Amino acid sequence: MSLPFSRRQAFKAMIGLGGTAAGALLPASAHATIGAGGKTEEHPAHPIAPANAIAMLFDSTVCTGCRACMPECNEANGLPTDTSLSGGIWDMPMGLSAKTKNIIELYQDAQSEQFAFVKKQCMHCLDPACVTGCPFGSLVKQDLGAVTWNSSLCIGCRYCEVACPFEVPQFQWENWNPKIVKCEFCYDQRLKEDLQPACTAACPTGAVIFGKRTDLLAQAKQRIAAIPDKYFENRVYGEHEAGGTQVLYLSSVSFQKLGLPKLGTTSIGHYATKVTSVLYKWLAGPALVAGVFGFFIRRNWERHEAESRAHEAKTGFPDQL
Amino acid sequence: MKVSELSTDTRGTTLINHWQCGVPVTRGPVLTPLLLLLAGIAAIGLGMAVLRFFSPLGPFSAMNDVYAWGIWKTFNVMTLTALGSGPLALGIAAWVFNRQKLHVVMRTALVSGFLFYSTGLIALGFDVGRPWNFYSALMPWRWNSESAMLEISICMPLYCAVFLSFEVLPLILERFYYIGSERSRALLCRIAPILRKAYPFVIIGAYVIPLMHQSSLGGLLLLAGTKINPLWQSPVMPLLYLIAAVFCGLGFTIFLLMIVCLRYARNLDAAVLAELANLLSGVCLVFIAVRIGDLIWRQQLPAAFAFDKMSLLFLFESSMILVPAVVLRSRRIRETPRALLNMSAVACLGGMLYRFIPTSIAYTPLRSTAYFPSAPELVMAAGYIALGSVLFVLAVNYFAVLPGEASKWDHTFRPFGWPRKAADPPIASSLPSTVIQERVI
Repeated sequence: MSLPFSRRQAFKAMIGLGGTAAGALLPASAHATIGAGGKTEEHPAHPIAPANAIAMLFDSTVCTGCRACMPECNEANGLPTDTSLSGGIWDMPMGLSAKTKNIIELYQDAQSEQFAFVKKQCMHCLDPACVTGCPFGSLVKQDLGAVTWNSSLCIGCRYCEVACPFEVPQFQWENWNPKIVKCEFCYDQRLKEDLQPACTAACPTGAVIFGKRTDLLAQAKQRIAAIPDKYFENRVYGEHEAGGTQVLYLSSVSFQKLGLPKLGTTSIGHYATKVTSVLYKWLAGPALVAGVFGFFIRRNWERHEAESRAHEAKTGFPDQL
Repeated sequence: MKVSELSTDTRGTTLINHWQCGVPVTRGPVLTPLLLLLAGIAAIGLGMAVLRFFSPLGPFSAMNDVYAWGIWKTFNVMTLTALGSGPLALGIAAWVFNRQKLHVVMRTALVSGFLFYSTGLIALGFDVGRPWNFYSALMPWRWNSESAMLEISICMPLYCAVFLSFEVLPLILERFYYIGSERSRALLCRIAPILRKAYPFVIIGAYVIPLMHQSSLGGLLLLAGTKINPLWQSPVMPLLYLIAAVFCGLGFTIFLLMIVCLRYARNLDAAVLAELANLLSGVCLVFIAVRIGDLIWRQQLPAAFAFDKMSLLFLFESSMILVPAVVLRSRRIRETPRALLNMSAVACLGGMLYRFIPTSIAYTPLRSTAYFPSAPELVMAAGYIALGSVLFVLAVNYFAVLPGEASKWDHTFRPFGWPRKAADPPIASSLPSTVIQERVI
């Protein structure tokens, strides 16, 4: 976005001028200068976190499952308690839901008695699929990297739920004025006041800690190096998954057993837009097709008109459009 | 005379060529029990849709946070607008590739396409959770130009409200010309040349815009990534969705023409239908070639022939497209009405399967939650389809939509009659007929 007139603005301006007329309005020389600006790619396959990117590091081997983070999250975000399972006594959500932005889940193996806790919330991807898909920019990647939702722009299409590989965004099915409920890194509530998110502030054991992404990544790698083979695959989940996330996981059991999906290292936004971003650059693709179609339609139109006039003269029946 | 002899347009020159221009249905009752039934379903569906607007989505649908898109999006929009792509497929064939024969069936394709799109858009309107925020569509600075969803939410209403409406306008104006007053006739005579002037320019948009949004429907699913089975999840999905739309549009136009001509006892036109069938078979072959090429390129061919659930689904879907593609290569079969009807229906089903499966059956997110549409969801989906069907029946009865050989017809509005046992009197003798002599639209 460093150029004074970015591709996005150009796209908007051209659409605003009216779809197909755009091709005619765009001078031929503009086609040649596309991409000459040396602008950085909008969706690189492997995005690089900005220097000030924040993160959370969750170490499953440290978490005791006390769930102190959950009521703190509810309080910070003004969420109700989910008491449907506990008969109205205490907060007992079944998973991330329209009432729960943050949850501690238990993984337990029936045979080996192996168990582990995992904290689920938005992963705050470096290149979030939900932000790429959101039609009117209701979901935004803010500074520091928090992914937030804006009620005044959302049309409720739920594309974010389809796009998110971690199945994080939740829709209020029971609300006439439904909202998308997802962890926003306590962006408005706490980050803006230089406070850390409610969950990391509440964690008594240090299972989940808050900091700069680079620092936490280094710390996670130190923990792996200190006790080799303690951690699953000796790696940090979230360092490269889906292009990298701003929530990092360490675990002694398989990440998939904890319910974290097995993902490639390429950003999903890159995968989804690599072809269309070329075709739709300056709307050149549609403009080109419109030009070719226009040429043939014009020629065939005149031929058709001549023929229909002759047909009318011959038979007395007019041509219908 | 000379021009018409030299031209490639051979309308009306052979015995089997029965279709010369659009002719309204002038005989038989309009209000049949079937139409009443469809109207009832449409009324119930739309009534529930209105109720839904005053209620949250929860009680009306079985959608959940794992399957956030139900059949309103995946069937009424993603699948049925493929069938409604007839105006795109036929229009490009007729106007860009100069297939002159197809002009006569354009109106049927246009009306059906318009109804598929408009009912799909109604479905979308009641599906989204916060429709009041849609005014952002008019504010380009709010657009997220990377989003396939934006492309669809802008282009689909634009296409339906501007381009398809413009293409449908002549047949409505033509009707008003014959029943209108002298003043309205004078006005329409002034409008007609303007329409004719604008026509070749507007139809460029009418073909480019659906090319964009029909491919974007496939582009939508790219972001779903690993949630969709790798047999379907592919970077060429936008292209395949577009090709599927083209052959579904062709196939459905053949199917619809034959069914409606059977219903209203019209003669078929072997030349036009064979031309459509030829195109249908060609586009289906292109689809299969791209599909197989893509699977080879992504090294998914072993998975395609693993004969597990997904593999069988893939093979079923592909054979539904391959069979009509191969069978319709034969000229004899293209000119056999029964085979043509069956094959076009099979091709439509194959294309619909391809457009529906990745959004539903092959959409397997991590969390184990099931989705099956609830009763209100099904009733509303059926209501939208019934609404389109009712409007189509009314359109063929009151406007010159269906192709026919008669060049005369009764221009007064026909009575909205109940079914009668007595045979209808022949048109020519009892009803005043007017031969169109002026060039209208």
